[in-house]
Amino acid sequence: MTPTSWASPIDDVGLVPFGKGFERGLDSRSLCTRGVQLETLAGVGLPVGAGLTIPVPNVPGFTSPDRAKAAMNLLERISGREISGTTETGGLVLLRLSASAPVDAAGLPPDLVCLGLKRSVIPEGLGASARADLGAAWWKSAAFIAEYALGVPSDELGSLDIDYPDPVKRVEPFKRLCEEKGTAPFPTKRSQQVAAGAKAMMERWNSPRAARARKKQNLPQDLPLALHLETVVVTEHDDEGYGFAISRDMDSGSFAPNGAFRHGFRMSGERDAEGHPLDGLPEGVEMLTGVLAELEGRLKSAVTVDFEYGPDGLALIGLEELRRPNARVATSLAVDLAIRGIIEEEEAVGTTDPIHVVELLHPQPKLTGEERPLVSGLGASPGAAVGQIALDSETAVEMTEAGQHVILVMSETTPGDLPGMMAATGILTANGGSASHAAVVARGMGRPAICGASALRIDPEARTLSAGEHVLNEGDLVSIDGATGIAYIGELLIERPTPSPSLTTLLSWADDTRRLKVRANADNGVDASTAIDNGAEGIGLCRTEHMFMGDRLPFVRAVILSHDHEAEERALKELAVAQREDFRELLAAMGDRPVTVRLLDAPMHEFLPSSADELEDEHQARMLEHLHEENPMLGVRGVRLALMHEGLYPAQVEGLFNAWVDVVSAGEAHPKLEVMIPLVSIPDELVMSLRLIRRVNQEVSSRTGMIIPFSIGTMVETPRAALMADRLAQWAEFLSFGTNDLTQLTYGFSRDDVERRMLGTYLEKGLLTASPFAELDAEGVGSLMEFAVAKARSVRPDIKLGICGEHGGDPASIATCERIGLDYVSASPSRIPVARLAAAHARTRLHPSASGA
Amino acid sequence: MAEVTLTDEQSEALTALVVRGMARGEASAVQQSLADAGLILVKGPIMMPTPAGTEHVGTMMRLADDAPERERIMATFHRFLPVNRQLRDLCTAWQVRPDGSVNDHSDENYDADIRDRLDDIDDAVGPLLKRFSEDIPSMDGYRARLTESLEKLDDGDDAWLASPLIDSYHTVWMHLHQHLLLTIGMSRKEDEELEERLVAGGSA
Repeated sequence: MTPTSWASPIDDVGLVPFGKGFERGLDSRSLCTRGVQLETLAGVGLPVGAGLTIPVPNVPGFTSPDRAKAAMNLLERISGREISGTTETGGLVLLRLSASAPVDAAGLPPDLVCLGLKRSVIPEGLGASARADLGAAWWKSAAFIAEYALGVPSDELGSLDIDYPDPVKRVEPFKRLCEEKGTAPFPTKRSQQVAAGAKAMMERWNSPRAARARKKQNLPQDLPLALHLETVVVTEHDDEGYGFAISRDMDSGSFAPNGAFRHGFRMSGERDAEGHPLDGLPEGVEMLTGVLAELEGRLKSAVTVDFEYGPDGLALIGLEELRRPNARVATSLAVDLAIRGIIEEEEAVGTTDPIHVVELLHPQPKLTGEERPLVSGLGASPGAAVGQIALDSETAVEMTEAGQHVILVMSETTPGDLPGMMAATGILTANGGSASHAAVVARGMGRPAICGASALRIDPEARTLSAGEHVLNEGDLVSIDGATGIAYIGELLIERPTPSPSLTTLLSWADDTRRLKVRANADNGVDASTAIDNGAEGIGLCRTEHMFMGDRLPFVRAVILSHDHEAEERALKELAVAQREDFRELLAAMGDRPVTVRLLDAPMHEFLPSSADELEDEHQARMLEHLHEENPMLGVRGVRLALMHEGLYPAQVEGLFNAWVDVVSAGEAHPKLEVMIPLVSIPDELVMSLRLIRRVNQEVSSRTGMIIPFSIGTMVETPRAALMADRLAQWAEFLSFGTNDLTQLTYGFSRDDVERRMLGTYLEKGLLTASPFAELDAEGVGSLMEFAVAKARSVRPDIKLGICGEHGGDPASIATCERIGLDYVSASPSRIPVARLAAAHARTRLHPSASGA
Repeated sequence: MAEVTLTDEQSEALTALVVRGMARGEASAVQQSLADAGLILVKGPIMMPTPAGTEHVGTMMRLADDAPERERIMATFHRFLPVNRQLRDLCTAWQVRPDGSVNDHSDENYDADIRDRLDDIDDAVGPLLKRFSEDIPSMDGYRARLTESLEKLDDGDDAWLASPLIDSYHTVWMHLHQHLLLTIGMSRKEDEELEERLVAGGSA
């Protein structure tokens, strides 16, 4: 509900005691957020604090002392306490005035926490600590009123603050300053103080500062305020105090009420986490636990409540919904609410942002129990990093220029160390907390950092660091975890964590909703296992390029450069044997799931020697010159290379089929093989490849006596392949859109050049709204795909259609895939959870009523 | 270390570099002469003071222990440190939300609140800067530089609050803080300990 005008809906509605607004038919338009919070709190069974709301329509009149007096009289009746009087435990009863708007708004006037002090005299009867607190709180309220209601220049108030450090001694000069520079003396009567406080709040709300805050939040400038007047007891009695309780543990996300409380009285509207833990509350924490669970259910949000306690027990005085829960809290809350039956499982899935899943899988070191911790400190900037130790900024810069990864380790950092901090991949300091220079700068630059590792000693002369018994030299490898604050000796593997139980539950619900299958891009057994752990339903893209690099390179090079048929044959045999091993490991991890193997796709030049030193003879030198290409990515690549060297694909599939026979006959797995041909633009390229593959399939079958089922398919990476999808579908049992190349060729973009040189400008000018390589271009490339989908299905209705590459893990791109009716997406193993959730969202958005598989 | 005699121009350039910690861009003739004297280090496009350069400036700027204004400056410095803590906390909040997640600046309400609180800090530091400048004339320019960064921030570029790469509010604040430490002759470690004591004492 967003009213077009914030002009008050109703006339004078009177003063509204906390918790009595809803029954008078009032809502946030007149009670504002704080009033509504107290209504909500009043509904959960615990008492709420004694106070009343001056609703929006009554606020303008409230700057009159008579109205303020009437409110004070009512408040005395509600609370049973005399304002400026003393409680049975010796506390002084004063007033707190606060403001809120009909919607959450920043830039509100501050709470005025102790109005009603008679003649501004801080009474002698209070204890020393209560007097000091009251003095500080009184000054804040008094200076605010003087500045905004009496027009006293803020600089002069600031000078007074500096000249008289003791607020008690500041009272008289302050009164004189108001008389000299203000429009009126500081009010002595309590009702005048309250009225002046209200006037100051209104002035502040109309100040340029508050106007700027409203503008920054896109809130209307005529947004009104309600005021709230409460009693506050200034005390230092052990049985009286205040605190807050939050419903969830921010680290785990689970329902675990926690918070802090303090003795004494609350001096500001801000919460103070440094108090006693809640289990030390005289009342115990159980009552708050029940309240928090009830409020979470009603508001469908993690919540914080503020409370006061005294001889009469607990009273709730504030409520805040956690508007932007972190990923852990959001997933855990959604799952808990669905399990409690408060929301549907589908709603739990729908309200979880796929970006949260990315956050939950933030990189961290892989711990095996074997690692050696070096030192621990404060996790000051999240993320993990590995690098060589540099002990000062200058060395860090030098080492980085030499191409090394560096962890800058220092006692503390100063602005002068900025060059080294920028050069480093991570930062470790011995001193300082989360607000230290190192922490603030590291977070600003997105570098993982640990600060305040106090056991760390640095010897700048010997160029060593020590922590306990460990001594390391500059240049030694260390790993840091900026989330846990632990540094380790040596290089740790950095990986993404596995999903939490809440996330696992949520993703299983997502699986019930989604239609798109989710597969993984994986080239080896380790990635394949990770992918399956993350919920992949098969492999959508196994690249074989890397299998040709390293010690295999000479074989491929021999095939391409050879002038001797026998040498070529020998090389191909070696290749087939090597590939058998590669595929064995991968297939063994896959159970009975489908595995799409893309045959060699790399451009030829990647296999050729880059310098004359690597050449074996004159013939190779001549061949190399002969094979030079102007544009290798559009040259002899993929199926084209395979058709020019007809032994290549047969050697690959021989390895593949043999590996399949190995794992099936050993009873390890029974995967469904899918062989995919890359970079096809002419349907006959597919036909010729298929013939080569079938021949090998029959050979391996007759040799092993096993029928090796496989399906054949092709990548759709060129616009021509998309336009001729019906012709391809006559032969292909599946098509997989390679949208990276398809995007390059549809736009005529060379990705590296465009991203490096042009993208920024294009985004700025609004020519593009996102990189088409990060988010699939639904309008252009998407239309081409839609056309291909229709063509392909017209020939082979049951053809399997998918997408592989980066887009397969991007939520917006997945939505496009759902819309054009693909069967699966294939994403990197770490993005599988994101893809599962995004696929469920895409389904629900397209078919709001659809649910269930 | 051998005694180094610098021209006024050299002193000014060296002081500026020590206060700022580093500078980018091509070295000016003066900066090059300081590099030749081993007082600054030029590394590609980056310049930073050498330990000798830092020490030189430290000696030059440090107020004598018996200087008549020292007591007044220290009293104001004690009022400055709690405000300094507020600014550091504010910059932390600008970068990291209370739950530890990175502030991605998509929450206008949250960012507007931080910007609003920055005004309280700016109001508090104003009278303090005025006092410092009375005793340390070289600190005169900071008020204008802070205001300039606020204006740029309010023109819509969030980097002007805390980016270490430009003269953001936080960067200028770090400079003025460094300027004070050099004048008083206090190490950053002593400074942090004093701040901790003052903040803890203030809220007890």
